[in-house]
Amino acid sequence: MAVPVPDATTLTPGPPPLPPLLAGGRRLRAQRAGRWLRLWVPAAVVILVLAICFLLPLVITLPSSTNGNILQAGDPPFSPGHWLGTDAVGVDIFSQLVYGGRVAFEVSLAVTGIGLVAGGLLGVAAGYFGGWADAILSRLLDILIAFPALVLALAIAEGLGPNEFHEILALCVFSIPSFGRLTRGATLVIRDHPYMVAARLSGTRGWRVIARHVLPNIMPGIVTFSLLGVGLLIILDGALDYLGWGIQPPTASWGNMIYNGYQVMTAQPEYVLIPSIVLVIVVVALNLLGDELRVRWGGQQ
Amino acid sequence: MALAQQIQLQGSDAGARERARRIAGSPALIVVGRRLLSAIVVVWGVTFMTFVVLSALPNDTAQVLLGLHATPADVARLNHALGLDEPFPVRYWHWLVSVLHGNLGTDLEGASVNSQLAQHLPVTMELLAYALVGSVVLALIVAVLAARKPGGIADRVSTAISLLGLSAAPYVVALLLIIVASVELNLFPVQSNSLGSGSVLSFVQQGTLPAASLGFPLFAIFTRLLRADLLDQMQREDYIVTAKAKGISPWQVLVRHALRNSLYNLITVIGLNLGQLIGALAIIETIFSVPGIGSELLTALGNKDIPLIEGITLVFAVVTVLGNLLADLMYAVLDPRIRHGRAQS
Repeated sequence: MAVPVPDATTLTPGPPPLPPLLAGGRRLRAQRAGRWLRLWVPAAVVILVLAICFLLPLVITLPSSTNGNILQAGDPPFSPGHWLGTDAVGVDIFSQLVYGGRVAFEVSLAVTGIGLVAGGLLGVAAGYFGGWADAILSRLLDILIAFPALVLALAIAEGLGPNEFHEILALCVFSIPSFGRLTRGATLVIRDHPYMVAARLSGTRGWRVIARHVLPNIMPGIVTFSLLGVGLLIILDGALDYLGWGIQPPTASWGNMIYNGYQVMTAQPEYVLIPSIVLVIVVVALNLLGDELRVRWGGQQ
Repeated sequence: MALAQQIQLQGSDAGARERARRIAGSPALIVVGRRLLSAIVVVWGVTFMTFVVLSALPNDTAQVLLGLHATPADVARLNHALGLDEPFPVRYWHWLVSVLHGNLGTDLEGASVNSQLAQHLPVTMELLAYALVGSVVLALIVAVLAARKPGGIADRVSTAISLLGLSAAPYVVALLLIIVASVELNLFPVQSNSLGSGSVLSFVQQGTLPAASLGFPLFAIFTRLLRADLLDQMQREDYIVTAKAKGISPWQVLVRHALRNSLYNLITVIGLNLGQLIGALAIIETIFSVPGIGSELLTALGNKDIPLIEGITLVFAVVTVLGNLLADLMYAVLDPRIRHGRAQS
């Protein structure tokens, strides 16, 4: 009997199993409606935010997110031309949110994608083929995960110049081992299932087995982990920008907004509160979506 | 007859040898030994990688120390004196040897890295302990209340709060707490410069906000984990049925039996996340001006103070690896269910 390995999906535990669907009438419809809402409300929030960040600037011309007219500094929300008002130096807050969101999503989606592909391949290979390659790879992954995040991020920022691309590079150092560990664990779990043994016995070559059997079966866990990872990466991107090692001002980013707001926090707390609340809402939506997907798809294991 | 002969054969020294062999071959010790070995490899790997990365930075340490008006000759001489112009493997070897002797070198300002660590590490550890203890205690209380009546008020409220805590980053929580507690209500100081020195009262006063900023997301994660684990046990395990059949009150079943088993999982998760906790602590220390190794690391990174960076990174790596080791041990060795399960299979 294999001892269950604590992989990444068990570390941030999801909600408990759903109560059984009752066999009748109003209660059943209410439960079904609840499940539908739990999936689609967070999904709608995420899609809405993505649409606003990426599509809205193509449709409407927003005020500049980097330059502001100092004469208009400190405008309250719903001023003409500035939907959420302007910040302390006159830059429009709404466009800062929009373009900052663009950057946040670009970074987190890029890092998640790279981690998924690179880390996933490495992890699946390690888990499936095993042996000394697996041992070496696991040690390497452990080293990368134990590596302090800040050192690498700053080193890259100092050495190569802080910008979006280098930030993506630095964050990939975490995302690749994380996905590697996850996929390796998932592959190990299903490796000795009967259908896998059958596939191997029938003479299917290694990579074919992986493509046709391993990947489709580990996909659900990986997708939910990715969603939670996107949320985490948005937070990390905010932290790096806040510390000054990511997107540099005056380019808009949520971390920069929070930092600027922090300077005037005592007098005008709304400059910190607005980007913080947006950040929390987006990450909550991603977490809820990831949870609901895990509940729906995780039952297969 | 065979038994009598066996007992005869087991003379005193033969018995001792047998016992020693059994201990040496015991699965627990093998597991521990193997984990320890790989832990050492990982720690070494982290320091090596850090050295590689830091060496790749454009190194103008000597220039910075001497100031703008230094001539190239002076800079070259200081470089030579500091040993910065030697090839990379030589520098790493020197550092490695001195570390193995317990000396972590001197940083750019001339202070010994050991003394810097000794000064700042306790502060961070105290803050971490405060945050961990607080969040674990609160999480235990809330999770037990929630698991007692699944779907009840305590359950729903705790789920909502956990979701918020999971989604809010520590630094966001820190800023919000500052706004609420320090600025509006004036309960806690904004800066905690003298944390660690001084009375218990000043520690609580200055340490509560930083610990709460770190602790709130932790509380969320732990509550979720404990609640899921407790519910899982209450619904699925046979010994719970036995306990209830014996007539033990539901509270006692929950606290005395289910909780003890859930604690294993909790400690495992804490161990696995210890490294990331220290990383998050660095940002919080900067926000609150706490003189711990997190903010030391950030200033050292800003100054490109390589010996100090290496020293602190070593500490981080050791803590992370120890945490993983502890979690592994809890999981593979100490949990009696797994230990006995293995012996049977």
